[in-house]
Amino acid sequence: MPRLELVASLEGHQDRVWQAIWHPSKTILATCSGDKTVRLWAPASHSDMSNWQCINTLEGGHKRTIRSVAWSPSGHEMATASFDATTGIWEHDQRDNDWECVATLEGHENEIKSVAWSSSGQLLATCSRDKSVWIWEVETDNDFECLSVLQEHSQDVKMVAWHPHQEILASASYDDTIKIWREDDDDWYCSDTLQGHTSTVWALDFDASGDHIVSASDDQTLRIWKMYKPNNAQGIPTPSNDPTYRTVCTLSGYHGRCIYSVSWSKVNNHIASASGDNTIRVFTQTAGGDEPSWEAVATIKDAHGVHDINNVTWFPTQQHGDWLATAGDDGVARIWRLVEDE
Amino acid sequence: MAFSSALVLTDLNDYIAPSQACIKPVEIEKSEDQGPTEIKVDQGGDYYEISKDGGESKLEKASITLNDCLACSGCVTSAESVLITMQSQEELYEILKTNRLAIEQNDPSQHRTIVISISPQSRASLAAKYNMEPLQVHKRLVYFFKHHLGAHHVFDTSFSRDLSLVESAREFVERFRRYMANGGDKMEAALQRQDIEKQQEAEDGKRRPRARRRAAAAKNEDGEESSTQQDMPMLASSCPGWVCYAEKTHGHIIPHISAAKSPQQMMGTLVKDYLATKTNTSPSAIYHVSVMPCYDKKLEASRPDFFLEQFNTREVDCVLTTGEIEKMFGEQNLQFDQLPEADIDDMFNKTVTNSEMQMAFGTTGSSSGGYLEYILRTAARELFNIHDVPADPSSESSNNARVIVKTGKNADVREYFLQGDDGRILLRFATAFGFRNIQNIVRKVKSGKCSYHYVEVMACPGGCVNGGGQLLNPNSEEVMSAKDWVSRVESVYQTVPGVSPEENEVLKEIYNEWIGDPSSERAHTLLRTQYHAVTQNLENPLATKW
Repeated sequence: MPRLELVASLEGHQDRVWQAIWHPSKTILATCSGDKTVRLWAPASHSDMSNWQCINTLEGGHKRTIRSVAWSPSGHEMATASFDATTGIWEHDQRDNDWECVATLEGHENEIKSVAWSSSGQLLATCSRDKSVWIWEVETDNDFECLSVLQEHSQDVKMVAWHPHQEILASASYDDTIKIWREDDDDWYCSDTLQGHTSTVWALDFDASGDHIVSASDDQTLRIWKMYKPNNAQGIPTPSNDPTYRTVCTLSGYHGRCIYSVSWSKVNNHIASASGDNTIRVFTQTAGGDEPSWEAVATIKDAHGVHDINNVTWFPTQQHGDWLATAGDDGVARIWRLVEDE
Repeated sequence: MAFSSALVLTDLNDYIAPSQACIKPVEIEKSEDQGPTEIKVDQGGDYYEISKDGGESKLEKASITLNDCLACSGCVTSAESVLITMQSQEELYEILKTNRLAIEQNDPSQHRTIVISISPQSRASLAAKYNMEPLQVHKRLVYFFKHHLGAHHVFDTSFSRDLSLVESAREFVERFRRYMANGGDKMEAALQRQDIEKQQEAEDGKRRPRARRRAAAAKNEDGEESSTQQDMPMLASSCPGWVCYAEKTHGHIIPHISAAKSPQQMMGTLVKDYLATKTNTSPSAIYHVSVMPCYDKKLEASRPDFFLEQFNTREVDCVLTTGEIEKMFGEQNLQFDQLPEADIDDMFNKTVTNSEMQMAFGTTGSSSGGYLEYILRTAARELFNIHDVPADPSSESSNNARVIVKTGKNADVREYFLQGDDGRILLRFATAFGFRNIQNIVRKVKSGKCSYHYVEVMACPGGCVNGGGQLLNPNSEEVMSAKDWVSRVESVYQTVPGVSPEENEVLKEIYNEWIGDPSSERAHTLLRTQYHAVTQNLENPLATKW
C-alpha cells in the first residue's frame, strides 16, 4: 500500500497559509497567506530536498488576506486574489530576481476567493463572495480587459478552475452547485449546472484530459463528474447542444468533516483531498468507464496538527510527480511524497 | 450584486441576510458609561430608551427611502417591493379618483393637472409586441390616458430629449475648450503622434517592442504624466442606473459625468416650470407621470436634486414602466390593439401634421438617445469647423471617411474617430453599454489611460430598448430568441425618422422665451444637475462582514 511521507516543512508566514501552488515547470512553490504576502520557496540544493528556503516575498500589494495565488502558464506572472476585493498581477523581473505588482484589477464588491489563469495564458478568471465570476482578457502593456461579469450563482463563489486545454471555466459555490461557463459569440454564458452536492462546494479540479471533474464539498463527499458530449452513446440528454456533466462516482465516508480542497494529478491520475478533519487522503482509480471506482490508498492524519488543511496540490510535471503540497491554518506549508511500496 | 439592468420586480424572499453593508449611513451616537438601558414601545408605536436613572429619551426612527434602496445592492429590509409600489399605477389611480371627486364637489383645490410623458423606447416596445407602428401606439396611448382615464396632456420625451442633447453638446464643447487650454493640446499632440507611429509600424510590419518599456519611453519623451484632469472624458448622464452605480462605487468618476439633465428630467422642468408658469398653475397642482423602459428611472425621479422645495413637489412625480402600463390596460379591461386612436395635439411632442397625415419624429442614433452622434456632429462643427459629419456614422450608407467607426470586443462597445482633413484624429468617442464594458471604461479613467473625449455610458446591454421595465419577449425561445427580440424592438424604434434639435422649431421658440441666454445661471439651474458620491459609514452596526 502506498503511503505519504513528509519531505519538508516550510515555515515563515505570520498567519494561516491559504494555498500552496506549484510553479508550472520549475521546482518552486508559491504560498499565500493571511499575513498579506506571497512567499516563493525552493529547495536549498538539488541534492537535499528536505531543506527549503524562501527565495522571494511578494508584499505590499494587498490590504487584506491573500486568499488565492495562481501562476501564469509561462511562470513569469502571478495573480493574487485578496479579501480586499482586488486581484494583483505580478511580473517577474529576471535581472533583479524581483517581483513587481504591475496591475491591480478592481471591480468585485467584496472578498475575492479564487483566481485562475487559462491554459493559454490569455484569460484570467476571478470569483467572489459577491456571487459573481469575472473573466478578464490579458492585453498588452499589462492591461486587463473585463470580458464578462457572470452573476448566475445565488451565493458566494468559492473557486474557479479552467479546463486544462480549452477555454472552458468551472466554478464552485456556496449554493451547492458547480457551473460550467463557455464563450458564445461575444459573451460568456452558463452552459451547465452540476447539482448533486448537498452543501457548499469548496473546490474542484479537472483531470489531465479535461473530460472529468472532481469536486470537494462541505457535505464530506468527493464527486467525480464525467463529461458527455451531444449525441453521446449513453443517451444522456444535452440541452442547448452543449456537453453536460454527470456524477459517475461519489466518494463518501472518507472524511469526517468538510473537505476544503481537492487536486487531480495530471501525472499519475491520483486524487488528493484535504479536510477540516485534519487528514489528507490519496485515492487511485481502480476501474474506469461510465461507472468508475476509486480506492483510498494513503492517508495522513493530523497533517498540520490540530489545524485545518486549506489546500492540497499535486506537482504538475513528471519531475516530481509524486509530490503533494499542503497549506494549513498553522501558518506552515508542507511538502509530501507518495511512496509506492513494493 | 445587483446592477441596474438586472433590476426587475420579482417576488422577494422576506428574509435577506445582511451580507452586504447597507449604504444608508446610520449614525448612532453612543454615550459612554450609560450602563444597561431598556427599550419601551408606547401605544403610538414610538420607541423610547429608558436609562438607568429612569429618564426616557425618544429614539429616532430609522428610515429607508426608495432612493436608498434601489441604489443599494444589499437591502436590510425586504420592503423594497413595498417601496417600489409607492411609485405605481395605484398612485395614479388615486390621483385620478381625487380629481373626479374634486370636479363633483366643485373643489378646485383638490384638482391636479395630470401630465403623462411617454418615452420613445416604451413606445417601441409596445409597437413591437402589438405589431404596430410607433405613431399608432402613441395615438392609442393618447386615447387611453386622455380620453379613457382623464389625464390632461400626453407628451413625448423625444421632445425634451432635444433639450438634453443640446445642453450636453454645449457642455462638451465647454469642457473640451477648457481641456485644451489646460494642457490638453499637448496631450492631444502626443496621442496623435502615437497614432502616426502605430500606423507607420503597422505598414512597415515592424514588431512592436515590449509594450511596457515602450509606454515608459513615451512618458519620458513628452514628460507627460498620465492625465489627471477632470474635463475629459465626458460621460453620459441620462442613464440613472449608471449614475447611481458611479455614485455608490466610483465616486472619483463623478466629475466626468455630464451635468445635463436626462430627457425625463428635462421634461420635468418643462412641465413644472415652463408649463406651470404659462398656464398659471402651481407646480404642486400638476401631477407628472413618465412612462419609461426601466425601474431606475423611478430612482432618478425621486432624487432630492429634482425636488422643488419651494413648491413641495417633484419634477417627475411618478414613473411607470412599459410593463406597468401594459398591466393597466388589463386592469381597465381594455385590449390595447383594439383601442381607438386619438390625435396628438399637445405641445411637447415631436410630430408634424401635414394635411391629414401625422408623422412622428425622433432622434438619429442609438436607442439610448443618440447622444454620441449628436455631440460628435455639434463638436465637429463648433470646435473644428467640420460640417460633413454624417448623422449616423455607424450606418453602412454614410460616408466613413470623416468618421471611422470600430466595433470593439462586443457589439456594445464601439469607437468613433473624427478625422481631420490632414488625417489627424481630432475627436475620440465611444459607446459602452452594459456592466462589463462600463468596468473597462471606469478602470481606464481611474488609471488615467482613457483617451476618449466622450463616452456614451448606458447600463443596459443593447441600449434603452432592452431596459428592465420593457415588455418581455412574447415569443417562445425557439420562435424568437431574447437577443432577436431586442433587435426587433430596436429596429421598430429606428423606424421613426430622426430630426435634429436644431430643426425643432417649437422647442427653439420655447427655449428663447423661457431660458434666453444658454450660459446664464438660470439656464444652468434649470437644465443641469449635480451628483453626490455615497460615502460608507463604516461604523454601521447593521453591516455584518463574514
